[in-house]
Amino acid sequence: MENKKVSLGDRYAEATVFIVTVIALLAGWFYKSSVENSSIPFNVEGISAQAPKGWLQSQPAGDELLRTTDRSSSGFNTTYILRKVPLATDTPAAQVASLLTLSHGQDLLAFRVLDQREVNVFDKTAYEISYVYVESNPDLTHKNIPSIVRGADYIFVNGNYAVVVSYWADEKNYDLDLSRFHLFLESISY
Amino acid sequence: MTELKAVHERKHVWRNEFLLIISLIVFVGVVYALDGALKPVFTTSTLLLTGVFLALVPAAIWLVFFYMQDRLEPEPKGYVLGVFALGALFAAAVGVPLVENVFRVSHWIYANTTATILGGILVVGFTQEFLKYAAVRYSIYHSNEFDEATDGVIYATAAGLGYATVLNIQFVVSNGGVDLGTGVIRMAVVALAQAAFSGITGYFLGRAKFESEQIWWMPLGITLAAVFNGTFNWLRGLVSQTSVSLSGAAANPWPGLALAAIVAFATTGVVLWLVRRNLSVQAGK
Repeated sequence: MENKKVSLGDRYAEATVFIVTVIALLAGWFYKSSVENSSIPFNVEGISAQAPKGWLQSQPAGDELLRTTDRSSSGFNTTYILRKVPLATDTPAAQVASLLTLSHGQDLLAFRVLDQREVNVFDKTAYEISYVYVESNPDLTHKNIPSIVRGADYIFVNGNYAVVVSYWADEKNYDLDLSRFHLFLESISY
Repeated sequence: MTELKAVHERKHVWRNEFLLIISLIVFVGVVYALDGALKPVFTTSTLLLTGVFLALVPAAIWLVFFYMQDRLEPEPKGYVLGVFALGALFAAAVGVPLVENVFRVSHWIYANTTATILGGILVVGFTQEFLKYAAVRYSIYHSNEFDEATDGVIYATAAGLGYATVLNIQFVVSNGGVDLGTGVIRMAVVALAQAAFSGITGYFLGRAKFESEQIWWMPLGITLAAVFNGTFNWLRGLVSQTSVSLSGAAANPWPGLALAAIVAFATTGVVLWLVRRNLSVQAGK
């Protein structure tokens, strides 16, 4: 194949196509972020947050104030859970973590704790538990094989109650969906 | 010499485009009827292999027509196959990973109508149209074999069908095989749409090579193709809406095929008219 010499005009035209495509993709990226990060206000029992818009949201039940699920995520649907757990005064966060771990061990299949430690979350002291479990039925249609779910609980003790924020995501999506969860975590006030 | 050839038109290009559309509709009808009549039973692997085979058929139909009709005005077949392969390679190496893994479009593009249209144009449309353009521009475009304005349409269609083949194979593999009836309709829709939008890019490429077009000419072509691409996907979703009944949920893919065929016919017709008008203007000069 014999190639001709490329003119300066051709080079400019080539660069312009590239620039226009990059601008379009950047605009697409910003638009994607705005859609993914859009939220609706949530306020129950003195605890408020910005819940993701367009996610499936269940009614408060028991100590669970909010359970919101992203139906579009692949495998196990990414889920945030917000709970208000009553406590005896001066209960340390580590003790709440032990109770939560025990509860997860009973409720979740093949539950394993990966790590637990005290952390600072957006200027608030919290206790973090990272864990993994198996969801035997990740899809309501029963068509999918069991999924490995990674989870993280953040425990914020506030006098006679603890606010527990849980993040559950398919192992494949955990890191990818983490930044959206951080926005939710940052929006929580009690 | 090149200038003289540039005002000539390869008539078989248009025959091939129209025959591709008609043949794909016939192919879909035959597979759908056979699936309904024979009700074949597949194992997981044979279903996967059948799906991959069906994904290759649209491109094979076009290439067969191309080879049969190109005897009088031969275009180097190796180059056409090469551009087809490059379109497929760009789709597999860049297009699909960028759209699915980086932009994760399936997570947000169906949030609302605006997201479907804007995401379809800015992310899916621009990615696909740029890569098909690149498959032609950085291979055959500057060679002496690209010696007629209609060559832009030929090579861009080859790149588009390469891209469509990868999209269809990826669909089959990610679903572990497809239902033959609905699967073959989806494959035909993807192939028709990709070929049609490539025709637009090809027309702009052809004119960019043989006429001194402004700097905005080619970006306009890519943008137009991306806008058509995004709008088509939104419309296809609209006409193929899932219906829910007591027996389960099902999407009707036939309106999507009808829409794709209309879009492909209309796009090819418009591009044909533009090329002919341009050639007659040049001949007049």
